[in-house]
Amino acid sequence: MSQVRPDEVTAILRKQLSGFESEADVYDVGTVLQVGDGIARVYGLSKVQAGELVELPESKDEEGNPMRGMVLNLEEDNVGIVLFGSTSPVEEGDTVRRTREIASINVGDGLLGRVIDPLGRPVDGKGPITGDTMRLPLERKAPGVIYREPVKQPVQTGIKAIDTLIPIGRGQRELIIGDRQTGKTSVAVDTIINQKRTQDTDHPVFCIYVAVGQKGSTVAGIANALEQHGAMDYTVIVSAPASVAAPMRFIAPYAGAAIGEYFRDTGQHALVVYDDLSKQAVAYRELSLLLKRPPGREAYPGDVFYLHSRLLERAAKIIGDDEVAQQMNNVPEQLQPALKGGGSMTALPIVETQAGDVSAYIPTNVISITDGQIFLDTDLFNSGVKPAIDVGTSVSRVGGAAQVKSMKKLAGTMKLDLAQYRELEAFAKFGSDLDPTTQRQLKRGERTVELLKQDIYQPLSVQEQIALLKINSEGLLDELKVNQIEEFEQNFLEMVNAKYDDEMEQLGESGTLSDEFGEKLMDAARSVIDQMLATAEQEEAQEA
Amino acid sequence: MFITKAARRYASAVLELAAERDEVQEILGDIQLIKNTLDGSNELLVFLRSPVIKYDDKAGALKMLFGDKVQELTRLLLDQLVRKGRIQILDQIVEAFLKKYNEYAGIIEIDVYTARQIKETQRKALQEALESKTGKKVQMQIKLDESLKGGMTVRIEDTVIDGSVKHKLEQLEEMFLAGAVE
Repeated sequence: MSQVRPDEVTAILRKQLSGFESEADVYDVGTVLQVGDGIARVYGLSKVQAGELVELPESKDEEGNPMRGMVLNLEEDNVGIVLFGSTSPVEEGDTVRRTREIASINVGDGLLGRVIDPLGRPVDGKGPITGDTMRLPLERKAPGVIYREPVKQPVQTGIKAIDTLIPIGRGQRELIIGDRQTGKTSVAVDTIINQKRTQDTDHPVFCIYVAVGQKGSTVAGIANALEQHGAMDYTVIVSAPASVAAPMRFIAPYAGAAIGEYFRDTGQHALVVYDDLSKQAVAYRELSLLLKRPPGREAYPGDVFYLHSRLLERAAKIIGDDEVAQQMNNVPEQLQPALKGGGSMTALPIVETQAGDVSAYIPTNVISITDGQIFLDTDLFNSGVKPAIDVGTSVSRVGGAAQVKSMKKLAGTMKLDLAQYRELEAFAKFGSDLDPTTQRQLKRGERTVELLKQDIYQPLSVQEQIALLKINSEGLLDELKVNQIEEFEQNFLEMVNAKYDDEMEQLGESGTLSDEFGEKLMDAARSVIDQMLATAEQEEAQEA
Repeated sequence: MFITKAARRYASAVLELAAERDEVQEILGDIQLIKNTLDGSNELLVFLRSPVIKYDDKAGALKMLFGDKVQELTRLLLDQLVRKGRIQILDQIVEAFLKKYNEYAGIIEIDVYTARQIKETQRKALQEALESKTGKKVQMQIKLDESLKGGMTVRIEDTVIDGSVKHKLEQLEEMFLAGAVE
């Protein structure tokens, strides 16, 4: 039988004990006066800071760790704390101890591929977080104006309708808004999956998906989908499902932002999805009302705008100049040596509307904070347009600057086509009574809408999108029936990817479509169309 | 005990007035008398807190209890409290007054928890050490707490100086656990 030798055990224990100080420990305490609904009022703790973590050593959670809480209210004779767990083990008269630490989270590359809770504890059963980590505060001031730069690099979502018409740049904040069941999460997940293409480049985009108040099964489903598409390797999921206490749901987006900031400030790129901020606002409303802060519109507290604006301001494109970037404001000490310029943090907040009402409190707030919105519409979704992006009301205020050259040029004509189509759509029922110009515009519009449809989990590369746009703008698709477009897209992409492998790759890298290659693409499209028309004719003949 | 804002305000008013009249020591004696009476008789507290009993009856009972034993100022305070319907917080006011008085007189109350009974010489040394640390006159409350296993814990207002064996063992446990994770 093998065993560890006693002297070895002693040596290890001695090593562990070498740093142990036997001096008296000094800490500040208070006493629980009142507890309930996830809130405790504490007497004492006179020197505590707002936002500081406190510990209740006498009340243990399910795993036997002391219960933790965060100080939110500092009042004349008591302190209001929110508890990060069930209130049932906490009793009146329990001791509350200061930790002298502002709520923070351990971040590092080791988080990639993991599912964690908002306090950084892994919840995926894969053991502790490995690798170097540094402790960053959840709440941090956004970088000042001189440390920022306008967006200039694109975030490719791989979704045709977004990349062409509502382009997103690195460092941008683009809101995804719509009713329940319109595919908001799918847009975000597709975007994360598409970042796989950036992983082999010099500037990979790391993704953080923050699930706030979601069903546990939904979070598991998303983790699964990401895993299947090989996207978990560069993704962190911060999970605060509906079952956790309101304080956890309230801090989850800040935890996501803190992880994103680690990448942003070390010169890397991050994409953070906050799914969704309306549920975070509801959690914050719950806490505020229980802490007896006065309710305002829709019973949200007065600072609900600041709740979201301070979060979304942290998304930024950091200036490329290392020297300037190193002077950045409010940088935690641990991060200072690793500080580098040129990084970015892109935010994709999601907000759910009720019955398409974008003029409710939270939607209007977040619309005004962000640099544009992607509006998803129930009617479009039900009529089969997926992703159900309402191109008319969706905008991207800054993303155009980051769009690749050829895409920008081709998208310009497409926007025009679609706008004209929408104007004439009502006349479509008159059919052949219309003049040829109108008929042509209707035809083009129908096909453009059809071309923008896309299945879930199938993001397209930039070069594929450019090729399709080129064919559409040249009007080649007008010869096909609307229901043949999908088939054409498949056949065409298969063909050019096989035939023009090198040229396509080059197009993806440079982003400019040469006239010569454009001709080649059009020839390829023509041959695919001819073939399709021929087979369709044959089938018709057979049926006859 | 949790002291409400109202109680604190009454207490500071009494203290200020007493200081003005140069009667602080006398009033302190009165308040201590009331405190001892309240501590000794739960019935009195229930009687004062009861919403069913009329104010006049409460005033009468208080007059009979303390009438000629206390200063005029204390009598006025009790009258005022009954009239304003605040007599149910008398215990809080007493507590608040004692706190305010300590502040006024530069006295600090310190709780000391020890695992074993300490000797008189140790007590003196501790008192001196605490007085030089806080710069105030120290009133020590020494309590025996065997769960500390050894050493002692000193609580000065909200700050705890923890030199107990129990706390050290807890710290050790934490350290070993943290080491085990790495």
